[in-house]
Amino acid sequence: MTLHQPEQRAVTGPGEGQAAAPARRRPARRSGKAYLYVAPAFLVFAAFLGAPVVQTVQYSFYDWDGLGRSTAAGVSNYVSVFTDERLRDSFVHAGVLMLFYAAAPVVVGLFLSALISRAHAMRSMSFFRTVLFLPQVIATVVIATIWISIYSQDGLLNQTLRLVGLDSLSRVWLGDHTFALIAIGLVGTWLNIGLCLVLFLSGIGNIAPELFEAARLDGAGRAREFVAITLPSLRGQIAVALTLTVVSALKTFDLVFITTRGGPGNATSVPAFEAYNRAFNTGQVGLASAIAVVLTVVIVALTVSISRIAPRESE
Amino acid sequence: MNVSRTERIVNQLILVVFALFAVVPLLGVLLSSVTPASQNSGGFAIPDAVDFGNYGAAWSRGNFSSYLLSSVLVTAAVVILSVVLATFAGFAFARFDFRGSSVLFYLLLIGLTLPTEAFIIPLYFNLRTIGLTDTYWALILPQTAQSLAFAVFWMRNQFRGFPGEIIEAARLDGCSDLRLLWRVVVPPSLAPMMTMAVVITMWTWNEFLLPLVMVVSDSRRTAPLGLALFQGQHLTDYSLLAAAGVMVALPIAVLFFALQKRFINGMVGGISSR
Amino acid sequence: MTKNRLFRLGAAVAAAGVVLSMSACAPGPSGDTAAPSPTNQASKDISSAGPVTLTVWDQNTDGGISKAQEQLNAEFHDKYPNVTIQRTVESFSDLKTTLKLALSSNTPPDVVQANQGYPDMGAFVAAGMLRPMNDYAKLYGWDGYYPEALLKQNSFSSDGKTWQGDTLFGVSQTGEVVGIYYNRQLLSSLGLQAPKTLSDVNSAMAAAKAKGILPMAFGNLDKSPGIHLFGVVQAALAGAPAVDDLVSGKSGAWTDEPSLKAAQQVADWSKQGYLTPGTNGVSRDDAVATFGKGGALFTLTGTWLQQTMQDDLGPNVGFATLTSTDGKPATTGGQGLAWAITSKSAHPDVAAAYVDFITNAKAAQTLLDTGNLPTVLPADYQPQPGTVAADIATQYRDVQKANGEVPYLDYSTPTFYDTITAGMQELIGGQSDPQRFVDTLQKDYAGFLAGKK
Repeated sequence: MTLHQPEQRAVTGPGEGQAAAPARRRPARRSGKAYLYVAPAFLVFAAFLGAPVVQTVQYSFYDWDGLGRSTAAGVSNYVSVFTDERLRDSFVHAGVLMLFYAAAPVVVGLFLSALISRAHAMRSMSFFRTVLFLPQVIATVVIATIWISIYSQDGLLNQTLRLVGLDSLSRVWLGDHTFALIAIGLVGTWLNIGLCLVLFLSGIGNIAPELFEAARLDGAGRAREFVAITLPSLRGQIAVALTLTVVSALKTFDLVFITTRGGPGNATSVPAFEAYNRAFNTGQVGLASAIAVVLTVVIVALTVSISRIAPRESE
Repeated sequence: MNVSRTERIVNQLILVVFALFAVVPLLGVLLSSVTPASQNSGGFAIPDAVDFGNYGAAWSRGNFSSYLLSSVLVTAAVVILSVVLATFAGFAFARFDFRGSSVLFYLLLIGLTLPTEAFIIPLYFNLRTIGLTDTYWALILPQTAQSLAFAVFWMRNQFRGFPGEIIEAARLDGCSDLRLLWRVVVPPSLAPMMTMAVVITMWTWNEFLLPLVMVVSDSRRTAPLGLALFQGQHLTDYSLLAAAGVMVALPIAVLFFALQKRFINGMVGGISSR
Repeated sequence: MTKNRLFRLGAAVAAAGVVLSMSACAPGPSGDTAAPSPTNQASKDISSAGPVTLTVWDQNTDGGISKAQEQLNAEFHDKYPNVTIQRTVESFSDLKTTLKLALSSNTPPDVVQANQGYPDMGAFVAAGMLRPMNDYAKLYGWDGYYPEALLKQNSFSSDGKTWQGDTLFGVSQTGEVVGIYYNRQLLSSLGLQAPKTLSDVNSAMAAAKAKGILPMAFGNLDKSPGIHLFGVVQAALAGAPAVDDLVSGKSGAWTDEPSLKAAQQVADWSKQGYLTPGTNGVSRDDAVATFGKGGALFTLTGTWLQQTMQDDLGPNVGFATLTSTDGKPATTGGQGLAWAITSKSAHPDVAAAYVDFITNAKAAQTLLDTGNLPTVLPADYQPQPGTVAADIATQYRDVQKANGEVPYLDYSTPTFYDTITAGMQELIGGQSDPQRFVDTLQKDYAGFLAGKK
């Protein structure tokens, strides 16, 4: 089986055009029939995704309640995104979530894989891989329901705190102004730690053992070995992990909707929720579209920046 | 590589700790779902009596029989549609040379990064204008569009890696492009196509925002949406909610256990293990 | 593809979007969307309508009313076997989120429960989604059966711009009053009587706290209870007429002294630990359950929980509404959500007959039997004194007689529900202070009034 490029590299583009396979001339047919083959997929894509994206940009320049007539709004919606306290906060919250969803799991994952770097060769690894990955496939609505009960007054978290004598810290986490956002962030950490661990361990498995041998001969300790060999070789995996987790943090909607609806107050409001709420509840479709555009731009910009970490395919 | 015993034990220990960390909440919901409602206050506890009645209540009273059926319908349609359309398109991108192929391909790829919010607002109003909201098509077609970005990329990769000699040989034999694709190229590629299919299945099954906006009638609600609204009415009915949650998550979890490798490979874009 | 080409592509997409928006491609319809005038002659003849499925959306999830609703639905089907009721029930906050989308879709329900005020009913009327019901009101005699004030609350101007206008858009099944449920045993153990004024409440709560009893079980997770808490305190300090004027946009400001004092009172209660700890994370049902188990002296909520209270505490629970500083009863209340007919419904006559069936005098008896408060109490209804049912009936009558009902505060502006619920969560949680709270309310309110002119 040929080596597949990780998803995220293709998204960003540099050097994508060439395959990793040796550069033999692939026999390609010039054919108008190709358009026929591509058309159905492209039509569905354009009609239900492509065109609406362009329309979102269009909507963002109007004020519309979704029912009656719309009025031109110039860039006032975009101005609101940056000046309205509640909207600004929602982006700040998304940033906080990025720390929990992405930074923490990646760091912990790297640290752990350095620690148990040779675990990938164990026979039981396949079992662990399955279990660690399991949270990723559960619907977020179900995960939200699970964690609501964990964070409740008599839920698992408070039970544990009471067990170790820290009862004074127990509270209803999702209703607490200071901790609600962190509580949601921790769900993301839980979700993504397994993913990062699996990714990095398998990446380590791909590193040629000779490199380690050479380092050992040179007298390098584990720390140096990690920094000099492991980390650079994992650049691809780190990029994938960061992309998946950062984007999931920014896209957070389901979790906030089910657990807190943006509350208490505005403590857990996030851009995706604000866009939905304003488009379909409070009748501010133009503003919602502007929020959606800004969110998308942020996501794309971050994805592009992260891809720079990944090694170029020609390496 | 020789792994010393101590190192193996340490490795196992760390992995066990994190495996537990990942699994305890899920174990908790399973236990909660069979706990009699009166005993359940939301904590992690092993019930002294096992009550499967919660599942029955969720199935009938909670209407989950209908919700699950809707999910199956929509997911199956999206997977079939995506696989077929992406096979055609991926083959064309991989094996044909035509003007604009790069541009078209990159347009599709952009779809991978876009959040649902980037297009759902106008999509809703467009579909409302043509009267398609609150139909299964309103769920199937947009999700197919979303899956296509991934699917076309995936299939193009597969077909690029396909041995050129076989294709040449078939063409020399006078094989038409259509036959070439479905009779020659696809059969050996079924395994990666399967990988793609399970990933699309998972994404579609778990989708929440799109049904939340598009679906109005109770009869067309998909499982995650049904769970969300069910939860709003039974905020502290932990046993009932747990049972409903298990029902919604179980199909994908079962699929996952059966096809673990495919899932993991597919989701992270595939890095072959040695 | 190089980064360059990608940038160019992205720029092209963005440019397309800008060009589209510069062009005359404004989203939305180009005409007006006033409510279409009803085209059918209002008729009471249902049986000849053939087989009809009536889609009904409601939020009657609480114990007593849920039973009543199912009973009434079954009775309606018995009376008109050709009509099948297809009921979709959601929690109040979920209905608030999903109803708008449902009404604007191509397959809206026939009958819905719509929350009064600008955020919900006002928006629906302005978009032409609800059918005016003046003709049915005459046909079924609603204009004689319901008190004028309640009918007015369910009315708007036909363009939806002015609340309490001339066009009726719904009738309500239940009457509602928000007040304080109290545990009779705990109260007498403190040597106190049922509270009548705000200072009574304060002394009672102080006494309870001193004895280690939770003064008030209050859960604000669902956000709407915050409206009730502030409403009751504000009404007690400002008096019903002032708050009524404020909510209907006639006069007053949210920064006036009584409102500020009310905010201060609520903040104090939270600081002094009179409310359930971590109240913003506790659901209303959880708090009520705590009260129901005897874990608190008071709980503040509405008469829609009468049956739940009866189930939990039996004769041990009482209900009290407060009088304002001028000695007149003043509390948040009025009526339950209005039952309305959608303008796209294909069966308005059947829908109207259904609405009448579940709200008329006969239905009122069913409601009473299942522990609810109907909008219009039968004149001869005298429940056993000393029960919470008697308390509720008495208070309801007294408050109505004195015109002491204050509308739910979220009716004030289209965005007020969000503004006040978020503000209350922050006030109770200690993230905001009373002045900031009332300033936020006033900002929303003033902006709305300015836009109306």
